[in-house]
Amino acid sequence: MLQQLNSPFLYLVCGLIILFVAAVCVIFLVRAYRAGKAIGMDEKKLKRAVTSSMTFSVLPSIGILLGVIALSGSLGTPWPWLRLSVIGALHYETQVAQAAAEAVGIGKLSAETMTPQAFATIALLMSICIMWGMVLTLFFNKSYLKRLGSGTEKPGRSGKKRGAAGFADTAMSAMFIGLISAYLGSYIGAFVSGNGSFTFSGDPTPIIVAVVSCAVMAVLTTIAEKKNKKWIESFSIALSMLIGMLAAIV
Amino acid sequence: MKNTNEEQEKGSCGEVRAAAGTAEKEKNAFFETYNNRTHIIGRTCTVIVLAALIGAPFLIGLYLGAMPDLGAAGRAFISVGLVWTISSIAEFLVYTPMLGAGGSYLAFITGNLINMKIPCAMNARDIAETKAGTPENEIISTLSIASSSLVTIVVLAVGVAALVPLQPILQSPTLAPAFDNVVPALFGAMSYQYFRKNMKLAVIPMLLMSVLFVLMPSLTSQTSIMIIPSGAVTIGAAFIMYRKKSKEVDL
Repeated sequence: MLQQLNSPFLYLVCGLIILFVAAVCVIFLVRAYRAGKAIGMDEKKLKRAVTSSMTFSVLPSIGILLGVIALSGSLGTPWPWLRLSVIGALHYETQVAQAAAEAVGIGKLSAETMTPQAFATIALLMSICIMWGMVLTLFFNKSYLKRLGSGTEKPGRSGKKRGAAGFADTAMSAMFIGLISAYLGSYIGAFVSGNGSFTFSGDPTPIIVAVVSCAVMAVLTTIAEKKNKKWIESFSIALSMLIGMLAAIV
Repeated sequence: MKNTNEEQEKGSCGEVRAAAGTAEKEKNAFFETYNNRTHIIGRTCTVIVLAALIGAPFLIGLYLGAMPDLGAAGRAFISVGLVWTISSIAEFLVYTPMLGAGGSYLAFITGNLINMKIPCAMNARDIAETKAGTPENEIISTLSIASSSLVTIVVLAVGVAALVPLQPILQSPTLAPAFDNVVPALFGAMSYQYFRKNMKLAVIPMLLMSVLFVLMPSLTSQTSIMIIPSGAVTIGAAFIMYRKKSKEVDL
């Protein structure tokens, strides 16, 4: 079965879809770059946005690759490769695949019990469960953004508008702070009460990793600001993450 | 566009203002056209990818000689799919304004929002120093999401090609804890970046979430949903602080 799931035909189907998505990314990249130049943005800034995003993405991408490897044992390589390249998210896939495996009646996700029908069903479910972001974007992105006034907002047009735009920025940062807090809080919760309330016997690794990577980030930011080395900014997150992750091994 | 800029530099004060006005208008008109085309391209690509993703399992099923069991798919969807449908709606509502038009079309096609795309775009925005809701921000976030997605595609493609020799290294028990902790490492680093500028604000959700998760540890498996109340509280607190600040300025 696994041999069938790793056949050239599946590689071809999945590879073509991924190639299409890569082409879409290139189109958006080139268009945005040209538009940035056309509205008079500093080319250096545009370039740094690209390089910093690229360095930023390398490590999480390797993490995602591990997801492909983890799933390839039961689903073959091409399908998880597609799933995680296109709308996949590491933590969703395994769970959905597992739930689908249970529903088709092969029990657990494994290469021994996999049947063609089970695979087709699992694949379909993996596609359907997380396509809603795309569906919503398809129908509502334009109207939603229009209502928010984002994108076409002209800051400084009038006092009131400026106030709204000013807060939009603060609200985005606030949302992000809330998001980070939810995750960091969950690590603390898992450690303190993960194995029974207030036993402090849960896994402390995520907290340690987060603290180390936060500390490294603080050092790098200070260096970048004191020595005015802007380029450090582009790598500081990736480097902090790497050292934080190393702390998990130690 | 370039001409107007040059004029701006050369002209006297009044001319500068007039030129700046025209430049601003031109810029907005250009950006409006750009944005409208972004929506057309974004929608077209989304439809194609959606069709491909749903079509592929049937195509593969045809090749394997067995179609998907729609009944089982339906049952599984009810058990797990509904949760993600709700979280997708939340993701759409929360992230679309962060990413802008181009960025969100791409991000929803390529996925991995929370563990990569969102922090990546926020980081690029910080480096480029653009404000939410401006054309500059729209461009920076599109550039950021597009380059991030390309890196993932390349890493995965190279990784899949090299899967056999790489497997033992990447799956070695020594490295396992490191890769299990990509997300904490990410949020640790990001927390410094965001918290230090907004310490007063960050204390509120941090305390609230820590207490909540300590008291109800079962919620840790629902962290992605807990982002919504946490974000809402933080935005609320930020709004109160913002109002207070602008009132002080008015006085």
